[in-house]
Amino acid sequence: MKKTLNSIELLDYQPNRYPFLMIDYVTKLKPGYYAEGYKNFTNNEWFFPIHFKGNPNVPGALQLEAMAQMLTVAITTLPGLKGKVTHALQHNVKFKQEIKPGDKLTLKTKVLSWKRGICDGIAHGYVKNTLVCEAEMKITIPEILEKFLPKKKSLKKNV
Amino acid sequence: MSNKEKYEKIFCSSFSLTKIDLKKDVKYNSVPKWDSVGHMSMIAKLEETFKITMEMDDIIDFSSYKTGIKLLKKYKIKI
Repeated sequence: MKKTLNSIELLDYQPNRYPFLMIDYVTKLKPGYYAEGYKNFTNNEWFFPIHFKGNPNVPGALQLEAMAQMLTVAITTLPGLKGKVTHALQHNVKFKQEIKPGDKLTLKTKVLSWKRGICDGIAHGYVKNTLVCEAEMKITIPEILEKFLPKKKSLKKNV
Repeated sequence: MSNKEKYEKIFCSSFSLTKIDLKKDVKYNSVPKWDSVGHMSMIAKLEETFKITMEMDDIIDFSSYKTGIKLLKKYKIKI
């Protein structure tokens, strides 16, 4: 497995696309352990004219999305998981500083556990070495998780 | 703490239940917190507490409080 993924290569491991792809480059990667990289924000971003006029800054929801997308890469680069769709389950997030046009958001994510389709992880976002956002996240690959859940048949058996 | 107390504690803490609730035989998806995430979290706590690794079929079959007691016997855990 490559230790970096450029903007084209990462598309194999991250199913989001424009205008919702929130990572540009994976600079450091160890599948199942961590993924780091960045997202550059320019005045051309679709949301800046509307969030907000006169004070453009990156919506918190999209900062969270960027952290989740980077964490996803740490999982989807594991053997057999390329191209799998992930869903968010639970996030606890803090936003510390506005991210403006021209800023480069450096993302550092770490997998705390990966078991039976559920990943617990943490992420930190930095602009010019200053922490601007952080999150504890729980994401899943539903296709795997669903294999471990009680089925309707076994529920009926116990009624 | 007995195995039964440990088992009850895991159920109560995982799904925000009381011991009285457990007498009704709680089932998967019958209480708000026993959803897919709650299920996997509860299984992880059981494995950690009783130092076992459950097989995939048993995790799928673990659909109620009472069924869980039967399944754990397979791992030599008597509740």
